[in-house]
Amino acid sequence: MEKASKFNRYVFTVIVLYVSWILITATTRTDELIVGIIVSLLVAIGTYDYLSIQGLRHLSLKRLWFLVIYIPYYLWQVILANFDMAYRVLAPSMPIKPGFVIVHTDLKTDSGKLALANSITLTPGTLTMDVKDDKLLVHWIYVKDRTIEGATHEICGRFEGFLKVIFG
Amino acid sequence: MIRKITYTIFLSIIVATLILFFVAFPFGKNKMGVGKYYLNNDIKQTGAANVVTAVTLDYRGLDTLGEVTVLFAAAAGVSILFYLIDQDKKKRERQVYPNFIVRVGSRIIFPFILLFGSYIFIHGHLTPGGGFQGGSIIASGFLLLYLAYPGERVNRKKLAVTEGLAGLTFVVFGAIGIFTGAHSFLFNFFPKGTLNMLFSAGILPILYIAIGFKVGSEFAGIIDDMMCQTVCGGEK
Repeated sequence: MEKASKFNRYVFTVIVLYVSWILITATTRTDELIVGIIVSLLVAIGTYDYLSIQGLRHLSLKRLWFLVIYIPYYLWQVILANFDMAYRVLAPSMPIKPGFVIVHTDLKTDSGKLALANSITLTPGTLTMDVKDDKLLVHWIYVKDRTIEGATHEICGRFEGFLKVIFG
Repeated sequence: MIRKITYTIFLSIIVATLILFFVAFPFGKNKMGVGKYYLNNDIKQTGAANVVTAVTLDYRGLDTLGEVTVLFAAAAGVSILFYLIDQDKKKRERQVYPNFIVRVGSRIIFPFILLFGSYIFIHGHLTPGGGFQGGSIIASGFLLLYLAYPGERVNRKKLAVTEGLAGLTFVVFGAIGIFTGAHSFLFNFFPKGTLNMLFSAGILPILYIAIGFKVGSEFAGIIDDMMCQTVCGGEK
């Protein structure tokens, strides 16, 4: 993925920071909005190089739409995993088979891999230990499949389709 | 024998003093007249919704200037201590490098930490928090970068300039007070504005922003000194 121009990334950072400012101040009063844009412009000068490589391409309608769908979908997956985890904790037969598996990801960007790793970690039962190139080392409470293809399908399959669109 | 008598005399003097002290002291009553004064007059006199800010920056503004100076002295002390350490030891390379998640994650979260720190010190006169807290949050962002990218350094010159300008802002705005109205240092000469609005409380927000920048750059400098103890290569 080639880098967007400096100006492009700067504008993207300003927009993201400004939206976060409005979210944390939780108001649309004029004074807060004015100070917010000043702060966003200043903070973005020093940090646009850190935040993003793709810049404004992140804000295409398709990506935002997928992000909006992904959040409730992800929460639903977390709830399902919670029930599964509760069953493993409560069942007297102790149905656990912990182990490490390696999964493969098609995501190309660093931010996409980070989002995938964190999605896996936040879902109860799976935990990302490390990311190297296109492989993730995952700890799994009940290893259903030891092969890379099987584990990838079981663990990443739920998220990867969305993340591929959102993070490119 | 003489020793025992001396002990007894001193002990009785201490006990007597304590008894006299506690008898004269009315328990269960509000003794803090000054606290009541702050609570009753804060909004009228300073226009700050956060009484703590009104106390630290307005009623005791000079004290805060002293605190910032103490912090500066501490940062300078840390710098000197680490400068004195054997230069060869400084070049020791770190063995363990942080993994992918820490590196990319800290890069993405860094702008938001700076934004949140700024939010804290800009709203110092309205909400809990202020310059010291916001500055510390900003410095924690730099700490995260140091942990994620060992070997890279912030630009110390820029930090020093920021710190100096912030300190100068504080003193200049304090000094303007001498030439206006009350002829006193740190006199609140700006209009008070409406309570709970961002532009209120006169010069207090400006002072807190200056303190935020000063504390943030000072702590970042301290972090730089400490991390470079083991991590950094040479001067940049």
